[in-house]
Amino acid sequence: MKRANDFVVGLTILGAIVAIAAGIVFMKQADIGQRKTQFIARFRDVGSARPGTPVVIRGVRSGRIESMALADGGWVEVRMSLDPAVRLPENPVVLLNEASVFGEWQATVLGRDGVPRDADVQRQLADAAQGGTVLPGATLPDIAKLTAVAGRIAGDVASVAERFEVAFDDRAATELRGSIRNFSDLSSVLARTVREQSRNLDSVSGDVRAGVQSLAHAAGQLERVVTRFDSSTSRGEVDKVVSDAADAARQLRQASRNLLTISEQVGKSQERLHSFIVGSDSIVTRINRGQGSLGLLVNDSSLYRNTDSLLKEFRSFLADLQRNPKRYIQVRIF
Amino acid sequence: MRSRALIESLGRYANAAVEGLGRTGRFAADTGRAVVDVGTWAPVATFHARTLGVGSLPIASYIAMFTGVVLALLASYAFTRAVPLYFVGTLVQKTITMELAPVLTGLALAGRVGAKIAAELGTMKVTEQIDALETLTYDPFAYLVLPRVLAGTVMFPVVVGIAMVVGIGAGWLASVALLDLTTVEFFKGARLFFLGFDVEYGLVKSASFGAVVTFIGCREGMLARGGAEGVGQAATRTVVYSAVMILVLDAFWAVVWLLGRQT
Repeated sequence: MKRANDFVVGLTILGAIVAIAAGIVFMKQADIGQRKTQFIARFRDVGSARPGTPVVIRGVRSGRIESMALADGGWVEVRMSLDPAVRLPENPVVLLNEASVFGEWQATVLGRDGVPRDADVQRQLADAAQGGTVLPGATLPDIAKLTAVAGRIAGDVASVAERFEVAFDDRAATELRGSIRNFSDLSSVLARTVREQSRNLDSVSGDVRAGVQSLAHAAGQLERVVTRFDSSTSRGEVDKVVSDAADAARQLRQASRNLLTISEQVGKSQERLHSFIVGSDSIVTRINRGQGSLGLLVNDSSLYRNTDSLLKEFRSFLADLQRNPKRYIQVRIF
Repeated sequence: MRSRALIESLGRYANAAVEGLGRTGRFAADTGRAVVDVGTWAPVATFHARTLGVGSLPIASYIAMFTGVVLALLASYAFTRAVPLYFVGTLVQKTITMELAPVLTGLALAGRVGAKIAAELGTMKVTEQIDALETLTYDPFAYLVLPRVLAGTVMFPVVVGIAMVVGIGAGWLASVALLDLTTVEFFKGARLFFLGFDVEYGLVKSASFGAVVTFIGCREGMLARGGAEGVGQAATRTVVYSAVMILVLDAFWAVVWLLGRQT
């Protein structure tokens, strides 16, 4: 019975030890008996990284931080182990950064070319690169630092608000109240002005609307003219008009030349008329003086009377001729 | 006159408290002195280890299993979208390992083991079996108390360790079966903040619980008087004192071991 008790108790204890040990190994992802590639990086500050923090290469978990220790010159040397199959990138550096906003950290191994262009990170890496065989490392700011900065900003805002509170005393409040009252009056006047101007604006807008309509009408007409012009152009009417105009101009030039010739001839005729008038004038003058036959005819009344009686006799002769033509005219064919 | 009676009652209570403290101290000293009597306690220690420890595995596993399930569901309910769901694994691992497995198992075993010890020893006391052992030159502390206390101290961490495994496993199964969580995600969260210290803390705490529960059970049983009623009172006091002391020790270890510790 006692041996049975011993066996059962021993088995239970052994089982519990195995279960707990297996659980710890599983949870810590420990590799028992597997060789690891190890390297050391140095940092000024390791943030919240600690032994067990995963080492990540190109986003893939490839190892873990094994230990970290303070070193001379204000450095922290961090020893990391990598899976044997993993190769470090060219010119490697190590960045310690938060893996998420919930406080998880990771060590990211990457090439120098892939380092963020942050001045502080570059300065840390340049400083740590003088460590010989040790890889240079830098620590990115964590959420706590960012929130600390945000906290400082909030503090500044609070101090500004406090100053504002100090400056905003009773007098300022009174002045502010007066300003608000003035602003209220001003807004009333402004509202009234706006109402009045809105009426003017209504009429102006009516005029503008009419003007716009006229413009629209004119634009329509212009469009029609342009359309017509366009159609005329397309049918060749304009060419014809231009051609006709050219003909007209040519004829006009010809007419003007003819007119010039006529005017020259008129000038000559005028000269001849002038000499004719001068000659007529001398004739009229001689008639008025009673010189010559016509002068005697104009100035001697007996001649007029003789002529008049002659005309009367000629008129009676014509009348008799019409009444008795055979008395005066005899027509014979053979 | 009335104030005099009040002061007298105060003195009486103080005297009783000091007397109880002294009796407990003397009981502890006698138990410690019995450690050297290996020939007496060693043969029966494994029997008590089996009775107290192995016999408690089913109830401890049962409690841990349902605790893990409830904890996973509670965590998924409590986490908003701002918190990734894989933190269910973190919560289950940390809470089961460091707090719930030791404390709930301790409370359960306070009822099962502590009451059993108090009843056994109380019955032996009121039936004068312990006096008979002393007559036979057996040291009752070496034969009755020390093997039980040692068994409790050793076997409580064993039971709690298995309860931890069962609890986390149940939480994992519940997360995979009932929540939108994969095995990889659950164990990603469980590993996220896992430290060997978590297990160490839980096991050491449970060892202290085992020592206290068995010690209180032995003390109350050995001091039992008045027949069956006295035995019942001893069992009741054992459960109550054990539960109180488990919570006191829980706070004690948290203050001593967690306060100011940087993970």
